[in-house]
Amino acid sequence: MEVVKCESSFGEDSDDDSHGQYANDDDAEYSYASGLVPKLQSRNIVSKARWNPKMEMAEVIVQKGSLWKTTGIARSGMIYCSIEEVLFLAELGALILLDHCDATLPLEDIYVKVANGKNGCSWEQFQAYKQLKSLGYIVGRHGVPWSLKGVNRSNECVSSKCSVESALADSESEDKSSIIGMFNGMQINEARPVFDVYLPNSKFRKSSPGDPSFVLCFTGGYPPSKAELEALERQCGGVPLKFCHIEHGRVNFFSFDRVELPVLP
Amino acid sequence: MGPRWKGKDSEAKAVKDPMSKIVWELQSSLIQLKSQGLLCGCSVLLAAEAEQAVLLNRACFGEPITAAEKDKQWFQLGLEEAFYLCYSLKCLNIVGEDKRLMNVEELWSFMKSKKAIFPDFYKAYSHLRMKNWVVKSGSRYGVDFVAYRHHPALVHSEFAVLVSTEGGGDVNGRIKMWSDVHCTTRLCGGVVKTLLVLNINENSQGAVSPSCVEKYTVKERTIRRWNPEKCREDHTVVESETNNHTVIESGTK
Repeated sequence: MEVVKCESSFGEDSDDDSHGQYANDDDAEYSYASGLVPKLQSRNIVSKARWNPKMEMAEVIVQKGSLWKTTGIARSGMIYCSIEEVLFLAELGALILLDHCDATLPLEDIYVKVANGKNGCSWEQFQAYKQLKSLGYIVGRHGVPWSLKGVNRSNECVSSKCSVESALADSESEDKSSIIGMFNGMQINEARPVFDVYLPNSKFRKSSPGDPSFVLCFTGGYPPSKAELEALERQCGGVPLKFCHIEHGRVNFFSFDRVELPVLP
Repeated sequence: MGPRWKGKDSEAKAVKDPMSKIVWELQSSLIQLKSQGLLCGCSVLLAAEAEQAVLLNRACFGEPITAAEKDKQWFQLGLEEAFYLCYSLKCLNIVGEDKRLMNVEELWSFMKSKKAIFPDFYKAYSHLRMKNWVVKSGSRYGVDFVAYRHHPALVHSEFAVLVSTEGGGDVNGRIKMWSDVHCTTRLCGGVVKTLLVLNINENSQGAVSPSCVEKYTVKERTIRRWNPEKCREDHTVVESETNNHTVIESGTK
């Protein structure tokens, strides 16, 4: 009986503090205001990238600012960024995306690229990407090396992670088409690893990123099954997994970790 | 999240008085007095002498029944508790209303007839009890069990436990939809518990006799909500520190 008493004193309202799990409670988010969303200030430092439809990536042609230390993959002295990276920076006003005729693409065209689902990142995945990036996390596509320079070395610590990665490491060519092949190989309907996530780290280097802090996985509508969990754990070889669930624009992260309760005295 | 002891001396008390020893004392005492429980509905009623009453309380088996009878204290044991004392600890005999002693097989059939999922629940219960965790009903929190590091008077329960059956048809299937995950973790967060799912694999043993259950295997998994706003810094040091007290992460090797 005493248990009930003590535990209920934590109550509903205090679960932010007591468990640290819930960021914002329902009521905090809504304001009965004019309906205008605050605009971000326009930036002076603006990078430029040109969309390459074949690669389904953008080739960065003007690099400004330090954000490129943790954005885009380095290949043959160039930086290529994925659609989620493009959109994230474009929304911030830190990147202008050009088409093949060097015409500036409006935000709408970038949203269309996400909406059509052909570029390896769904809108839900972008939302998760955006939230993590906004908090300073370093996020890359799962299994896609940040650069090919350190790939042999980093391959040692993540060797069991992803066959695609080792396939890429093996192939000498930095052929851009291999990157497309990698993205197209992503499955759509089952639990799958999507992003490699690193904690905020000012010393992050693409040439030696180390193991990610966790691999962010998405599922096909249901929580991961035991079989899916075990398959993913094998595939990601010891890197912790987190699962993302997004509903009504709200991004939720969950872990389903294997544990072993200790034998007590 | 480590254990939440009640008061500053509680942890020391628990260390001085390990649960394994208390249960062992209870076991010896029940054997010595040839204790008999009476099957009554979905419970087993047990009349305890003063010494046993103390031990049952300290080991957290059953609930005492408030009654005016002077020399005896009656206890009401749940199905898993009674079967654990009877089958695993071999310290309790159970009789039916005709006062006839029930053998283990009869008892097993009876438990299954009252609760189809009893074999899996029993596996979960005995799995945690054998690790010297105190296990009580979780119905208060909408889960199957709660697990305590020691007596509930000394410590809050750390885990809210759900039993899940692996393979063909999870009878107890509780976390099938994302809303189930949200609902259960939200509730557990509110009462400061970690959601622990025990996956029971029957390994095609069936449940004809209780000995089948010994061949079942149990895998433990915690489900937690992760808040990216509060986890931006590397907290591996803190984590390994709390791990000594709570759980050993097997996935991070």
